[in-house]
Amino acid sequence: MKKSINRSGSHIAIQAAAKTGKWFYILFFLVITFLPLVWLVISSFKTNFEFETQAFALPKVWMWSNYKNAMSMAGLPRLFMNSIIVAASTTIVNTLVASMGAFAIARETFRFQNLLLNIIVAGVLIPIIALMVPFFKLVNGFGIYDTLFGLIVTYSAINIPISVFLIHGFMGSIPRELEEAAVIDGCSFSQRFSKIVFPLTKPGLVTAGTFVFIFCWNEFIYAMLLTSSEVSRTLQLGIRFFRSQFVVDYTSMLAAIVITMIPTILVYVFLHDRIISGLTSGAVKG
Amino acid sequence: MHSVEKVLAARGLVAKTGPRFSGDRPMVKRNKNWKQIILFLLPVLTLFLLYFVYPLIFVFVTSFTEWNGISAMQFKGLGNYKRLFLSDTFRLSFRNNILWALVLGLVQIPLAAGMAMVLARKPRGWKTFRTIYFLPNVISQVALAMMWLAVYNAEYGMLNGLLNSVGLEQLTHNWLGEYETAFPAVIFQQLFYIGYFMIVILASRMGIPESFYEAAEIDGANVLQQEAHITIPMLRGILVTTMTLAMAFGMRHFESTYLMTNGGPAHQTSVMGIVLYRNLEALRFGEANAIGTILIVTGGVVIALLRWFFGRKASASETVQ
Repeated sequence: MKKSINRSGSHIAIQAAAKTGKWFYILFFLVITFLPLVWLVISSFKTNFEFETQAFALPKVWMWSNYKNAMSMAGLPRLFMNSIIVAASTTIVNTLVASMGAFAIARETFRFQNLLLNIIVAGVLIPIIALMVPFFKLVNGFGIYDTLFGLIVTYSAINIPISVFLIHGFMGSIPRELEEAAVIDGCSFSQRFSKIVFPLTKPGLVTAGTFVFIFCWNEFIYAMLLTSSEVSRTLQLGIRFFRSQFVVDYTSMLAAIVITMIPTILVYVFLHDRIISGLTSGAVKG
Repeated sequence: MHSVEKVLAARGLVAKTGPRFSGDRPMVKRNKNWKQIILFLLPVLTLFLLYFVYPLIFVFVTSFTEWNGISAMQFKGLGNYKRLFLSDTFRLSFRNNILWALVLGLVQIPLAAGMAMVLARKPRGWKTFRTIYFLPNVISQVALAMMWLAVYNAEYGMLNGLLNSVGLEQLTHNWLGEYETAFPAVIFQQLFYIGYFMIVILASRMGIPESFYEAAEIDGANVLQQEAHITIPMLRGILVTTMTLAMAFGMRHFESTYLMTNGGPAHQTSVMGIVLYRNLEALRFGEANAIGTILIVTGGVVIALLRWFFGRKASASETVQ
């Protein structure tokens, strides 16, 4: 690129300052976001004595036994099982329901379809915590209080607006000719969905599914409100009891917390491109 | 054929009633697949009606009643609202939510925008930075809250450890336990997790043609001038949108405060969601729903005010992003 013509001394100074400032900014955020995480992971390998006396030293011996304690004391296998059941079922139910609805709205024309889409999508603007009482009553009324099924239904419903938004966006971009050809070949309405549009929307489904899965895995408030017994306790709710379970063994508790973070981080490591594209799918309009 | 008859019937129907229903859109006719359309919409509509429409109406209507879920509802008019705004705890919580909204909107968004501007110039490893700054957003609030409880711990927490090791013992605090430090500490914990907004703003920033910056460069504009005169005006829309969202999040903030301090010490960190949950636990459903209504309305007001202030119309789907 051509260098500028009237480049004064102050100009060069500002460019240089901006360059230093840029790296300072990047590093500052790196430290502030990740120092606590790194400290947590390192602390989880310490003995309790080391943890209480030397906040920053590396552990002399890396205590993998903290992780063994964590697994056995907190009943992690059961909590993991419940969370996997809830997150996986919700992801399947929600994406299926949302993609059927999005298909009808995106690939057909009927009166008020845009209004319908906007009303559903506007659901994301509602603060879900404001609806605690009705959700509580609803789940009780259906007799699914304190069941994983109750959580699955609730989570599937809560995520409808975001899923419909994402999946509708993807479905809208599929060329119509494909479906028209299929109709001529004798495809019915539901076959157009199951054989043409649904498979072609896979990237959108993966994006929406990833969002829903991470939401379910991390959800705490409604897990707390809608379950009470250990049988239907999910991981996030379980974490709340760590402090009473690990009274004397603080570093094993930290190990347990690290373990609970791993699944969503793994999902993110493998699917971060899909997540980022999902976040930005509407941003071009901004 | 059967279906052809149906189509003709449908067309006949539209022709007959056309002027009444669709004066300006005479082409609209009943879709021949209407039965399947309804069938496909049924699950999504059922869940939406049950979990969004019905709860909204329910929260609003019962906020004017006294009701414990067992005995019959009693109509109380604005009694719940009056009681809430007369209570110091609720007023403090309301104020805290407003502070949350202001801090997230006016501090977190500029921080996120700054990072988007930096990364948009593609320094080495910018894609990696983009990916890892979003990472905390996929970790649960519960795990993060537990981590920050350990960080802020008075005896062996990371923060006090850090201050001790650089000789600033006099600055150590029981961060979440003391009156003055608890609220700033809880806000600080969220403030620097900019990943979500940064990614949204960055995507818009990448949409600005590179030639604008090249032209400015030739005219002798330095980096800061380029950002101030090209990037910020061009990103006005997305900045308003993200600010709106951040403020709406602030008005409904609940989870990490509940997990870290449960509103303490002495309600200093309390927010509306915490008061709502306390009322729910005490079976004061009318009062809980009055708070719910306030949450929904204030969230809506924040969005409407910012839209009005910046004079920009937007559909719901645009606000999502």
